[in-house]
Amino acid sequence: MTTTVRLERVTRRYTIGAAETRALDDVSLTIGAGEFTALVGPSGSGKTTLLQLIGCLDRPDQGVITLGDQVVTGLSADQRADLRLRSIGFVFQFFALVPVLTAFENVELPLLLAGVAAAERRARALGLLDAVGIADRAQHRPDQLSGGEQQRVAIARALAPRPLLVLADEPTANLDTANGQQAMEIMQRLNRELGTAFVFATHDPRVMHYARRIVELRDGRIVADRAAVAVA
Amino acid sequence: MSIARLWHLAWRDLGRNRRRTGFTIIAVALGMALLMMTNALIAGVVDDSLQNSIMLRTGHIQLRAAGARDGELSVRWRDLLLDPGPQAAQAAALPHVTSATPVLWTSGMLASAGESVGLQVYGIDPAAPAYDRLRAALRRGQFLAADMRDGVVLGESLADTLRVDVGGQVRLTVADSAGVAREAGFIVQGVFSTGIPAFDDHAVLAPLATVQRLSDASRRASAIVIHLDDARATGEVAAALDVTGMRLQTWEQLNQQVIQTMRSASAFYVLLDAIVILIVASVIANTLLMSIFERLREIGVLLAIGMRGREVLGLMVLEAALLGAAGIVAGLAVGGAGVAYLATIGISIDRSVAGVAGDAIAISNTMYGRAVPEVFAGLALAMLAITTAAAGYPAWYAARLEPVQALRGR
Repeated sequence: MTTTVRLERVTRRYTIGAAETRALDDVSLTIGAGEFTALVGPSGSGKTTLLQLIGCLDRPDQGVITLGDQVVTGLSADQRADLRLRSIGFVFQFFALVPVLTAFENVELPLLLAGVAAAERRARALGLLDAVGIADRAQHRPDQLSGGEQQRVAIARALAPRPLLVLADEPTANLDTANGQQAMEIMQRLNRELGTAFVFATHDPRVMHYARRIVELRDGRIVADRAAVAVA
Repeated sequence: MSIARLWHLAWRDLGRNRRRTGFTIIAVALGMALLMMTNALIAGVVDDSLQNSIMLRTGHIQLRAAGARDGELSVRWRDLLLDPGPQAAQAAALPHVTSATPVLWTSGMLASAGESVGLQVYGIDPAAPAYDRLRAALRRGQFLAADMRDGVVLGESLADTLRVDVGGQVRLTVADSAGVAREAGFIVQGVFSTGIPAFDDHAVLAPLATVQRLSDASRRASAIVIHLDDARATGEVAAALDVTGMRLQTWEQLNQQVIQTMRSASAFYVLLDAIVILIVASVIANTLLMSIFERLREIGVLLAIGMRGREVLGLMVLEAALLGAAGIVAGLAVGGAGVAYLATIGISIDRSVAGVAGDAIAISNTMYGRAVPEVFAGLALAMLAITTAAAGYPAWYAARLEPVQALRGR
């Protein structure tokens, strides 16, 4: 299986006042193409920090991170931005749509940033909104959408640039059970159809059931890494 | 990503807090309108003062005796032009010349039964077109005629001071060419009001021959005053004049004090312009900074999905430019209306305030504005540039945020 992300002995420390906290401590991990992996663990275990490092949103204090065949740890801010734009999609717990743009425009935004031609932007954005089941809400703004609908727009936006990898941080934490289930089913289906790897952080046991691999963290270290039987 | 693609997002961002955006646009618009109106007013007052001075006192070109000194009202013969009629006629025949007329100035004292006032005496050719404006400004009585031996006209305010009116008697005392005081009685033939206190309070006009007789100037005059149909033709006319034995001065030389004073006033207005623009810029900077702090997480999301720092910077600068442009357009509309009001109705000022500028500066007691499109365009561009530059710090702040910091909202 092709490797999408490789972390080698990655450490990330935070200093708060005089105290130093190791949010991640000497973590090594490999994510393969097309994986559907859950990062689990209690709050403060390092799940979000790990996602931020994989997503080039933050830099490790030690260790090497490779995305595809590119070492990302030494890249400049602009190079990391380009990498995020073309290779990584994000789904956040708080939906994180741009409130002044419609659902269509939110999905179109990364394509606009990437310089994709207007006709293709339109086709791709509408196609993805259709794929997540809210094509009829394309011209609505986030405040006119339910939480579940907003999260589906966020999933569509994450997939718009056809990334290698989608990172989702607690994607169901702000959703009720039905909407959370629906969001996971959509991500699972798109993972299968598009072959895009998904890594999501969660501490919701219902969400873990969708994963084919579960990586468990505790106190900044990986304490378990096991295959799982995903629900269909 | 090209900056042009950010317009759409920048425009929408301005709509997220419409009240704040509205107040900011109003601040820019009021600043712009204030700048337009103050600049229009200063341009109008400068023009008005210069035109008043040229029309009533200096003309566009003066020819004087070679030895005559600026600002002196001497009637010593060596300071006067002898028999200036032929030279005036020659000048009057030149292109662009609307009037070329001899005038004899002297200082004097005009007294009525109860009051006396020190003033400037103008001995004029009443038929010269140069005095059409005074003729039009006549409130009561009649204007002078060349053969009027004992007639004078004077300003309404001066007449009020002397408590005389048309038909009233006054006595005029002047020093003659030998320095001896000479006095004669006159009848007030007419009372005028030019609206220029510096002239109306301190001038009495009599026919040239009358003043020549009174001051023992014989057939002499202080100057030939030449008026043109276009001030820009001054150089051309000056070059065509035969000035042998005479001294030629242009309106710019003759109105140096007016021009210098107005230039100093203009410098003050530039300072005022700068203060207004800086206040507006600080309003814009504050608006953007508040806007950035309110949407740190959103900026984090934009950075997370691949927007570069300089694109975030571009977005903020575009928002400032749009705010500035909207305010400037509104300001041009409001300011345009204000300038139109100033140009047509003007602002009446108390004659004592108009008189504060002194006798040398002929400010009217109604100040009119003048549209100065090139100045307005410059102000609009300066306003746009500075309001856009005001986005510098907020934009720089947003652009240097690490995505992870912004996503945490700090």
